[in-house]
Amino acid sequence: MSATFYLLAAVAVIATVLVITHTNAVHALLYLIVSLLAVALIFFTLGAPFVAALELIIYAGAIMVLFIFVMMLLNLGQAATQQERRWLDPRLWVGPAILTIVLLAELAVTLSNTNRLAGGSVVGPKQVGILMFGPYLLGVELASILLLAGLVGAYHLARRDTRRERGEKPA
Amino acid sequence: MSSVPMAHGLLLAGVLFGLGLVGVVARRNIVFMLLSIEVMLNAAGLAFVVAGSRWGQADGQAMFLLILAMAAAEVSVGLALLIQLHRRFKTVDVDAASNLQG
Amino acid sequence: MTTGGLIALSPLIVLAAATVGVMLVIALDRDHKRTAALTLASLVVALLALPIAASATTRQVTPLLVVDDYALFYIGLTLAATFAVAALSYSYLENLAGQHDEYYLLLLSATLGACVLIASNHFVSFFLGLEILSVSLYALIGYVRTRQACIEAALKYLILGAASAAALLFGMALIYAELGTMDYAQIAAARPPPGSADAVLLLVGWGLMLVGIGFKLALVPFHLWAPDVYQGAPAPVTAFVSTVSKGAMFALLVRFFAPMNIHAYPSLVVVIAAIAVASMLVGNFSALLQTSVKRLLAFSSIAHLGYLLVAFLASGALAVAAVPFYLVAYFAATLGAFGVVGARSGPDGDADGFEAYRGLSRRNPWLAAAFTAMLLSLLGIPLTGGFVAKFYVGLAAVQSAVWIPVFVMFLSGALGLFYYMRIVVIMYMRAPADQPITPAASLASRPSGAVLAILTLLVVWLGVFPALFIEIIQTWIAR
Repeated sequence: MSATFYLLAAVAVIATVLVITHTNAVHALLYLIVSLLAVALIFFTLGAPFVAALELIIYAGAIMVLFIFVMMLLNLGQAATQQERRWLDPRLWVGPAILTIVLLAELAVTLSNTNRLAGGSVVGPKQVGILMFGPYLLGVELASILLLAGLVGAYHLARRDTRRERGEKPA
Repeated sequence: MSSVPMAHGLLLAGVLFGLGLVGVVARRNIVFMLLSIEVMLNAAGLAFVVAGSRWGQADGQAMFLLILAMAAAEVSVGLALLIQLHRRFKTVDVDAASNLQG
Repeated sequence: MTTGGLIALSPLIVLAAATVGVMLVIALDRDHKRTAALTLASLVVALLALPIAASATTRQVTPLLVVDDYALFYIGLTLAATFAVAALSYSYLENLAGQHDEYYLLLLSATLGACVLIASNHFVSFFLGLEILSVSLYALIGYVRTRQACIEAALKYLILGAASAAALLFGMALIYAELGTMDYAQIAAARPPPGSADAVLLLVGWGLMLVGIGFKLALVPFHLWAPDVYQGAPAPVTAFVSTVSKGAMFALLVRFFAPMNIHAYPSLVVVIAAIAVASMLVGNFSALLQTSVKRLLAFSSIAHLGYLLVAFLASGALAVAAVPFYLVAYFAATLGAFGVVGARSGPDGDADGFEAYRGLSRRNPWLAAAFTAMLLSLLGIPLTGGFVAKFYVGLAAVQSAVWIPVFVMFLSGALGLFYYMRIVVIMYMRAPADQPITPAASLASRPSGAVLAILTLLVVWLGVFPALFIEIIQTWIAR
């Protein structure tokens, strides 16, 4: 078990170093996804399968898609074409691909060992759910206010100007 | 988990946190700064899960879920600001967009 | 959760309901005046709910929040300050084009975050309150998004704020890893022998948490955002950042560290004392060099938080009463000062340069008098609230023999004489003949004028008759 952990840790650190040193934003994002995958597997080996799944679904899934979405919005015209051409360059794909294959192999090893792991201290979704909707109930409700504030803030800040704000007369 | 000492888990979280901090300080492009912040928040979440598994409690995982919610809210506001900055000033660079002194 | 718990939480429930209610009203129809009125009314209702909450039998509501007298005092202060900010904002936003309704929604959610922070008793509520406050503030600071300075200030605050929040979370994780609990009382009770590996991990955890706390308070190594954000943000939002956000965090700091007896950890005391001294020195010396009123107030606010840390370091009954008194005097003067800046601002930007205030005493003597009172109180001239507050802090510090910080406090505080008086002198100088006169109607419309008048009276009242107020504090906090 411990060998898996150190290998995953190495993948996570290497991928993160590449995130902060890369010049291409989309490429850095790919490495960040690899890093998040590695951390998700670490959660799994630590006996936290629920957050491992959420790390994939929300972090690597939803939040990273948000980033890609904004990058696509911002990369218009000439820059986007060049970007597209560079995407076809296989050299860009090699790094993330190798790291992902390492993760895949580890996933296979970890899953085949699952029975042994379950004997340890696994804190499953049920316990997390009981805690979240029991003593931490107010926390869940406050998190909804937090998301509401984020939603309203993002809506207002990214909105296009109204006619009045552009200094024109309202139609 | 028992075969991996907690200190090593926290050490990994610390290394990832440090890398994220370096990214925030060293990069000038706001997209990369936001990515680095995600790395830092994720590292803090990892530290909580490691700590929770040490005590066999669900608290660490619950905190991770809340960090997830916070990261989503924070990043959506950050990206909205980025879109507005790009729309007005055609740049996502902090230095190019620094009319404020200091 | 029991009925008693719901009663104790009633001010927070009113705020949360108001946030959702304002959103629904906006969805039906946009009307600036109605949204503002609804916001002010719900703040009043939340204030009226305070005595009801005080009568509740259950003060500990779930493990997360504790609504004791201490919390209720600061929640009341926060609600009153937000009321002033909302009234000032109405006059300010009337001058601007665009949709203003979301502003009040975000203001209410930010206030809710501050109140949760004040009542928090657990890392979960600490973190959530802080983030609700921060995320709302990111949007409020960048609210006037046609101004470049606003967008830049918001981005700067967001990036530094998120990074410092990550540091805070990491510190919390270390403490939790060491002690297995996130409850303040249990953390304070657990005391590993000094010098052991456990104690080192705890100290690192507290250090990282201080980064997050220091950022929100704009204390010296973490103050770099303050001048830019103060300058870029709309004036009422700057007032909010400077008062509610800092006040809530300071209330939390006292609640978190007070039961722990920080004097058992000499290294922690040295770090906090160093931060206090550095904040006072950097704040006061940098304020001397500024040519922008908002940046000057940013540095003066850094120095004021340094003074508050001196009171925090001093222990004893005097210090317990000195902190709330100082915060009230600081709140009143800061809200008033930014209220004047906001009232002097037009659609193109805030009145920031000193020149915008030249000859103000002739064009608008009331506004000039109010600004003078606020600045004198911030300086700590006798007969203002600021003097009594500073005197109180100094007394508490001398009694606990916190010599070096209190020495720095009075010496560097004297520099304020130069930078605050510079603005006052400019206001009473004759305006150049060719300067265009701003139309008087936009200078101070009714809501902000009323708030400024009340704040001015409060500043003077606190300075002339402090005894009544000290009595209120002692019945609410020091029992």
